Amino acid sequence: MRHYEIVFLVHPDQSAQVSGMIDRYRATIENASGTIHRLEDWGRRHLAYPIKKLQKAHYVLMNIECDQDTIKELDSSFRFNDAVLRRMIILMKDAVTTPSIIASEDSKAAEIRAAEAKAEEAKAAAAAARAEAESSVEATTEDSE
Amino acid sequence: MARQMRRKKHYTFGAEGEENSIDYKNIELLSEFVTETGKIVPSRITGTTAKNQRQITTAVKRARYIALMPFCDAHD
Repeated sequence: MRHYEIVFLVHPDQSAQVSGMIDRYRATIENASGTIHRLEDWGRRHLAYPIKKLQKAHYVLMNIECDQDTIKELDSSFRFNDAVLRRMIILMKDAVTTPSIIASEDSKAAEIRAAEAKAEEAKAAAAAARAEAESSVEATTEDSE
Repeated sequence: MARQMRRKKHYTFGAEGEENSIDYKNIELLSEFVTETGKIVPSRITGTTAKNQRQITTAVKRARYIALMPFCDAHD
């Protein structure tokens, strides 16, 4: 069984179908008693140059171990699928399971965004509390007048 | 051929795990070996070893194929 690393690009409008496609490929591989060592969905990324006049594409990375017939089947399914813009299949020496650099960048960016969102919420809550306090103070001063 | 400027930057690849390994997905590392216009820098300028330069070249070409890196700076 050989180890392969596959990156394929999907048309961004068909992003919703990506999970279905991945399940189908997973079934193909597992029916042939192969294994998926790593599966990463990088989501929509900006392309370095336009492909078929598109600026973004949905990237998927897979590290699998399977036999040559399965990889030919996968390759032909990529070729005859109109949603797949480009594919790259590389032969590897060993299996790779650690998360890739791009996937860990995405998770770091998501963490930063979540932290910023929380900070903004805290600020908004504090501002709301201050506004309430001010309005109650104004009300009391108005009453006294 | 006496070169006055001899750049010998020693890079340790793969020593600290993934971030330093030459891989087509490691765009940050690869962009250090590519000019502003996107061309691959010759090893006599960066001082990398021949083996590393070959690996960098294949990694850059793979990254260009899947549009992680550009071929040039003026794409349309």
